[in-house]
Amino acid sequence: MPEKVLAKLENVKKYYPVRRGLLNRVAGQVKAVDGVSLVLHNRETLGVVGESGCGKSTLGRTLLRLEKPTEGRLYFNGTDISSLSARALQPFRNKMQMIFQDPFASLNPRQRIGDALEEPLVIHTQLNREERRERVMGLLEEVGLRRDHYDRLPHEFSGGQRQRIGIARALALNPSLIVCDEPVSALDVSVQAQVLKLLQSLQEKHGLTYFFISHDLGVVRHLCDRVLIMYLGQTMELAPVKELYKNPVHPYTEALLSAIPRPVPGRKRERIILSGDLPSPAKPPKGCPFHTRCPEAMTVCKEIRPEWKEVAPGHQVACHVR
Amino acid sequence: MAMDTAVSTGGVPVEAPSPEQPKRLASTWKRVIKNRLALVGLIIIGMQVIMAVFAPLITTYDPAVLDLSVKELPPGSKGHWLGTDEYGRDMWSRIVYGARISLVMGISSVALGLIGGVALGLLAGYYRWLDGLLMRVVDLMFAFPGILLAMLIIAMLGTSLVNVVIAISIWSIPSCARIVRGSVLSLKNREFVMALRSIGASDIRIMLKHILPNCTAPIIVFGTMRMATAILSTSALSFLGLGAQPPTPEWGAMIAAGRDFMWTSPHMTVIPGIAIMLVVFAFNVLGDGLRDALDPNMETR
Repeated sequence: MPEKVLAKLENVKKYYPVRRGLLNRVAGQVKAVDGVSLVLHNRETLGVVGESGCGKSTLGRTLLRLEKPTEGRLYFNGTDISSLSARALQPFRNKMQMIFQDPFASLNPRQRIGDALEEPLVIHTQLNREERRERVMGLLEEVGLRRDHYDRLPHEFSGGQRQRIGIARALALNPSLIVCDEPVSALDVSVQAQVLKLLQSLQEKHGLTYFFISHDLGVVRHLCDRVLIMYLGQTMELAPVKELYKNPVHPYTEALLSAIPRPVPGRKRERIILSGDLPSPAKPPKGCPFHTRCPEAMTVCKEIRPEWKEVAPGHQVACHVR
Repeated sequence: MAMDTAVSTGGVPVEAPSPEQPKRLASTWKRVIKNRLALVGLIIIGMQVIMAVFAPLITTYDPAVLDLSVKELPPGSKGHWLGTDEYGRDMWSRIVYGARISLVMGISSVALGLIGGVALGLLAGYYRWLDGLLMRVVDLMFAFPGILLAMLIIAMLGTSLVNVVIAISIWSIPSCARIVRGSVLSLKNREFVMALRSIGASDIRIMLKHILPNCTAPIIVFGTMRMATAILSTSALSFLGLGAQPPTPEWGAMIAAGRDFMWTSPHMTVIPGIAIMLVVFAFNVLGDGLRDALDPNMETR
């Protein structure tokens, strides 16, 4: 697939210092994202899956440069944006946007919907008041809201409607990349499907690239072109969606997939139940981060971090065993 | 595709809409009125405002003109229903004009204090690197007893009502900064701030247009309560001779002047004392009522 590369991450790391004591000395580091290399193609949907705390949200925020990477390079449309200042980032801001998980927290409770949606236009464009209003009206209709919602406050909307407002806000500047941080996990199942369909149709219409963070493998299978599996800030496996579900390589991926409830009772697959808790990202295990819970761990897994290697075209994995 | 959207073509919402909420201001007002004590406070403050605004219309004598022929009249005397002081000045006129002074002093010192405190609180809450420094300065200011700090400032600047305003407002800054900082800290990590950063909103825009409007409730409550303290401090400083100078009809100064006549004409101290007490009480109970009415827990999401 000779697709155009939209964004590229090279060994991106994001560590947060843990401060302790009277003098706020750095006592340790939480390795939220620990060396991720990745290519994001134009118009694709990349699903990012992992347990909570595995660094998938941090990765998404770092990709948008809402967080500054501790190490590594971050390219967007061929430009290195990993260490640009806030001012120098401004021209990139309208090309990459985010949709948030919590539709209640992601809108300013005191701001009318119309003003909230006009705000990106005020910051980034020279449109006058009427032009902005017209654009916002168009956005409202595009995401399935009504024109008269313009003057309402966030608390007058349901969760699904608020998520549509969040989507409209992300769309306002015609971005090419949207990071969706679990956009439907806070919604009712019936509303989830509506919002996912909306996301799909918007992608087709505007040629969007989605960085789709989720912990719902069912949603990911339905929506994504490729899937990235993360564990403790590191990438475990990356493959086209069909390949991953048919032929998972990493033991962690296998365990995750075996946890999907199956609608057909006869075709039972054995569930792999992982023992033990998720280790703290402040003290990740040496070697492969998964070795403490891996059913197939070997001695080498405890010592050396596995290489990120390609096992099939477009199918990469980090594991000693396979 | 249109069928999947939230609103069907007939305009019937598919998703359950939340019921129309009453206007926030109106509902707050209703909750305040329901609180009896707060209502009493509101009435007293209303009376003070009327006295302050219409002072020349509701008094017959100039508060500063001496008339030794009618000095030290007790309340209920003909022409002077609240009596007169040791120079024969009408007590009612002096109380009414005193209401004007105490209101102006309270509002101006609280407004100045709020401007400073809100600015510091926003900065300290928003910028982590400034937080430590600013909050240590605030701690330092807290270590001084308030009235002592005010006296120190007046000693440096000289005795006048303007300097009293400056002293009281400086002394209001630290507690206001603390309150605002707390609200900012809790708001800063909400997703809508992250969303604003992702659309490239500047820090100033986020602070003034988005964080500040969301922490008005604690600021309003603080401001109301602070009015009581400011009015009381103005009178205290004037009582000590550091604020209003004679013949200014300031309530605290009036009590100070009446001290020498405590036994012969107690009304000269008691009446301004009651005035101070009522006003301070009113602002305190109104502040309490506002705090209950603006409680975020009573707000629906």
